[in-house]
Amino acid sequence: MRKRKLYTGINLIGLTVAIVSFLAICLYIQHEWSYDKMYADYDRIYKFNQEFVSQGESQLVASTPSSLIPTLIEEVPDVETGTLIFDISIFSSVLIDAGEGNQEEQSFAYADENYFKVFNFELLSGNPAQVLAEPNQIVLTKSTAERYFGNAGSATGKILKVEGTDFTVSGVMEDFPSNSHMEFDFLASFKSHRHGKEPEWSPSNYYTYVKLKQGTDVAAFESKVEQIKEKYLGKDLAEYGYKTSFHLQPVSNIHLGDQSLSSIKPGTDIRYLYIFGIVALLLIAIGIINYVNLATAEATERNKEVGLRKAMGAGRGQLFGQFVSESMLLTFAATVFSVLCLYLILPKFSDIGGVPLITNSLMNPVGIGFMVGLILIVGLLAGMYPSLILSGMEPIKALANKTKMGGGAWVRKSLVVFQFFVSIGLLIATFVVKSQLDHMQNVSLGYDREQVVALTYHYNMRNVAETMKSEMLRSGAANSIALAGDMPVHIQAGYTIFPGGDNQREFMITGYSTDKDIVKTLNLAILAGTDFNENDISRSETRENETLLPIILNESAIKEMGWEPEEAIGKTVNFGFSDARIKAVVGDFYFNSMHEKIGPLGIFIDPGNANVLLVKIPEGNPSANLTSLEEVWKKFVPERPFNYRFVDQEYAQLYRSEERVGVVFTLFSGIAVFIACMGLFGLVSYVALRRTREISIRKVLGATQKDVVSVLASDFFKLLLVASILAIGFGLWFADTWLQSFANKVAFSPMPYIMAILLVLLLAGLTIGYRSWKVYRVNPAKTLKSE
Amino acid sequence: MIQLKDLDKYIESRFQRVFILKGIDLTINEGEFITLMGPSGAGKSTLLNILGLLDEDYDGEYLFGDRNIKSMKDRERAALHKSEFGYIFQAYHLIDELTVYENIETPLLYRKVSSNERKSIIADLLDRFNMVAKKDLFPAQLSGGQQQLVGIARAVAGKPRVLLADEPTGNLHSGQAKEIMEVFQELHREGTTIIQATHARENADYGTRLIDMLDGKIEKDEAIIHV
Repeated sequence: MRKRKLYTGINLIGLTVAIVSFLAICLYIQHEWSYDKMYADYDRIYKFNQEFVSQGESQLVASTPSSLIPTLIEEVPDVETGTLIFDISIFSSVLIDAGEGNQEEQSFAYADENYFKVFNFELLSGNPAQVLAEPNQIVLTKSTAERYFGNAGSATGKILKVEGTDFTVSGVMEDFPSNSHMEFDFLASFKSHRHGKEPEWSPSNYYTYVKLKQGTDVAAFESKVEQIKEKYLGKDLAEYGYKTSFHLQPVSNIHLGDQSLSSIKPGTDIRYLYIFGIVALLLIAIGIINYVNLATAEATERNKEVGLRKAMGAGRGQLFGQFVSESMLLTFAATVFSVLCLYLILPKFSDIGGVPLITNSLMNPVGIGFMVGLILIVGLLAGMYPSLILSGMEPIKALANKTKMGGGAWVRKSLVVFQFFVSIGLLIATFVVKSQLDHMQNVSLGYDREQVVALTYHYNMRNVAETMKSEMLRSGAANSIALAGDMPVHIQAGYTIFPGGDNQREFMITGYSTDKDIVKTLNLAILAGTDFNENDISRSETRENETLLPIILNESAIKEMGWEPEEAIGKTVNFGFSDARIKAVVGDFYFNSMHEKIGPLGIFIDPGNANVLLVKIPEGNPSANLTSLEEVWKKFVPERPFNYRFVDQEYAQLYRSEERVGVVFTLFSGIAVFIACMGLFGLVSYVALRRTREISIRKVLGATQKDVVSVLASDFFKLLLVASILAIGFGLWFADTWLQSFANKVAFSPMPYIMAILLVLLLAGLTIGYRSWKVYRVNPAKTLKSE
Repeated sequence: MIQLKDLDKYIESRFQRVFILKGIDLTINEGEFITLMGPSGAGKSTLLNILGLLDEDYDGEYLFGDRNIKSMKDRERAALHKSEFGYIFQAYHLIDELTVYENIETPLLYRKVSSNERKSIIADLLDRFNMVAKKDLFPAQLSGGQQQLVGIARAVAGKPRVLLADEPTGNLHSGQAKEIMEVFQELHREGTTIIQATHARENADYGTRLIDMLDGKIEKDEAIIHV
């Protein structure tokens, strides 16, 4: 009876852990899947993406010109309504003042008057048709309103200063739901923005959404959009040799769709959802296997019970029913425990997954139905095989306890192999992910990211920037300072090198607008030529003076043009419509995530486009330096908050989703190993019990502890060996597939494989060793008593 | 060779000690063939287990040669157990999953005997007990008498100086029992010290000394005179 308690405990814990993980993953997947399905008629809402084709290269971007949606509303009858959003937080932060001084806000967007017609978010106050209709109107979310005005009710009608301009709070909306791809604190009327006065066909800076009338054929509508494009843009496009077209993307597809498109909130690669889903199923499978293994093993001890019941006339069906309902009961108990656990651990899991998970979706009819289904399926899968074996026993043999359970052994063995295959496989995957993450953190990027701080810079600071820089340098808190359009971790601005000057090749190139100090600040390696100096002038000045723009290119750009670094110096090229002279060549550095290869890059002086002040601070504790920098800052721009980010931290942010995968894998491979080892413990206990007599005999014959352990362990280690070989195969496949998305991948190393296998062997060895030790301690004189 | 001095073995129950063996004084010389007799519960098996170093939970002294068992380290005791004792059980206790050959081989494996040597030892034993033809059978395929022969072969494979047998013929009919006893006699003649526990008086006639036990004590200790 005590043994049954042990097995029941193992099964219950194993199933509970498996079901907790399964439900948590299901909740996560459900949340990701539910994105943007809360709007009325969401299936008729689409977002426009714009495709540029130039010289055979095609590029899809998520933004469109501001003229697109007004024109379509005007001229295409299929359109029910449409709206555009100008998310300015991607460029810079915004200063907000409600009378208590400036606050820097990161989540600010402009939207046109139709916004609430397309997205029917609830307004707590204000009329949806009017809140964004006039210039200088602003809608706050509930929590923003509470932050500024204490409570949401009193905010409407109040005045907010946005970068010094008065805005009237026209309405307060509910906070954006966590499963919307949009999330802002402020929505200002687009008419307030200088670009919002008149619709324009350039630039393409706006997210455009359209709601089509019921029954509209999407393909037919897209061709109508094509005609509109020809009508308004055809002439210009022909002139510049560009092609462009607009494509529709269902709004509910944004979050899980093409991840290369920029979006308001980071999306999720749908492949990860599939991977997580498979992991969830595998964990459940491991839990079920524990049950099957222990139940069939235990069946030997239940022979008598079965024999008795049969002798008393129980049919096979009745017995089957009895054993299956036992497993159902256990699954039910495990599910109840799991739900309790989920309420305790979900807050933690949300942190890991980076998503708020809503347990509400468990405790509604659909959730409960789902769990009932889970109990039935898991209970049946777990109970079926052992029940068949038990109910199929012949009564006389069963009563005489003569049944040898040898028949079920190969099933048990293959199930154990499967469990450990999954455990080792997941561990290998975990170690592969970790090694790539480590690799990306440790590889040389080609620039210094340590001790570099980025301060938020605004165009309004242009008049004091130079004096502030020198003051900061004088304070000793900075070794070097440069203005730049972006942090070096993620430079995006697209330019073209056109035919002209000394080179006739043309290609897309990334442009990095900085000031003359960037090379020093980032410690870029100059391969040829000389760094910018005092006499080099900015892009705007060259335009006025019609002189050559001094430019520094990276090695990739030079190679693309077919030059060696040395020969490129002094040559002229046409860079982004300006004639430029190559002043220096720097070594390639990673200015994007390692998913992308290092492309051509041009660095030029253009402080007017700067958004950050990159400060290289001296070695040592940064806090003192930051305090000195802040002091200088307060002297020059007291009205602007002093905000800083560390470049190395921003770099780490690039791999947030990989980091998340790593955490999830670590967690669930740990769980898989844990459940599998518990099952192994149960199985070894069973085998040890069954072989106590044999082990006692061996002991009498002179077997040492080592001999006893090897008797018990050898069978299992054979199984582990098979599982390891299969897992290595899986690991190789996984590494190959997963690493494919990285342009710079970690070199192959056997370490992840060795570590995973050793770890599991160690744990399994401890499990087996502990059991064997206990059997060895049994006094053989007791077991071998003659009857 | 073996000397027990004032040996007690008891179970501590709530109110009193229940003695299984009490005040055993016994000297066994090399080459003796001793039969322990007595009703069930007299303490025969317990005494055999203590002699065979399987049970260490007792009071009193046990000298093997001039060495005191109680003051030996676990490792030394295990080594002594391995080198000096062979065990034979009433229920044979062969390992079901192993063949006759492998069963006999097991103790040799634990004694690190080389493969060639093992082969020749086992071949001799199979030959001696007329079981060459049965070497690849499993225990379940043998009669009780044959199983016990395997048990004996296994017990003597390691060439122990002392053979301990607990009711070796208890599960056998008289013909088989006689056969087993003749084997014992032969082993004894070759110099092996044998201590057997039995209910059957006729088995004692093969030995040189008879010890009667009752309630954990030695009642009578006499030599068997062969006429």
